[in-house]
Amino acid sequence: MATLTPTLTLASTDIGSDELSLSVTDSLTVSQDVISPSKVKLTTSDLEIGPTTYGKSYVYLKNTDDTIAINIEITDGNSTMQLAAGEFAFFPWTGASGIVAFSASGTPYLEYAIFEA
Amino acid sequence: MATTATISISSPDLMPGSSLSIAANTTLTKAGVTADLTQMETGVLSLVSGTEYRLGPLATEMSGDAHDIASYLYICNTTTEDATYYIDWGINETMIGRLYAGDWMFIPWNASDDAAEIEVEPQGGTNTIEYAFFNSDFILPTAAS
Repeated sequence: MATLTPTLTLASTDIGSDELSLSVTDSLTVSQDVISPSKVKLTTSDLEIGPTTYGKSYVYLKNTDDTIAINIEITDGNSTMQLAAGEFAFFPWTGASGIVAFSASGTPYLEYAIFEA
Repeated sequence: MATTATISISSPDLMPGSSLSIAANTTLTKAGVTADLTQMETGVLSLVSGTEYRLGPLATEMSGDAHDIASYLYICNTTTEDATYYIDWGINETMIGRLYAGDWMFIPWNASDDAAEIEVEPQGGTNTIEYAFFNSDFILPTAAS
């Protein structure tokens, strides 16, 4: 059993007249399987990075490419999110549907990690 | 100064002999360009158990080509109740995950069409969420005449 501490900070001084300065953290217990920070080269073909053998988990994704977008589907055929160049995501996932990644074009690299609670 | 998002994920005991320390940051920009995002909506909502709520606008409420609209969503379940209280979140009518007390998420959202709406559904009782939604442009609903 391990403790995972994710922290997010959102900041802007000019998106509104009220300065945005939001910071949130959490303490998560990880006691099952883990895909440690990994990096994979994608193509325009589907690659399952999150199999349904996982149960309740937390997922980290980051597009490390400078220009190419990466598409993420959590139900086959339904676009869930698109990670533009340099973007990341962190979210809870039930494991009920697999996580599939593929590139919008070319061969960008995706960095990812999955932590099963 | 743009809007920035920074994440760190750490664990001292996930892997024996090697602590985990992930750090990443990104600047929230309009799709395909380096221009800053111009719109945001932030707030706190008390959500009644068993009812679906849509967060953010529908694709058709956004201006331009919805496929090219950069949007980002942050949600935190601020309830302090036990594990019987949680919020299911999903896209495309597919439940993807559960936010328990104190859990948060941050995702870029590609509003490809109206079916790709983001929904949350509290369970266990009334849950309170803190949320922030950032995007390029969307059209506010027309007032009823």
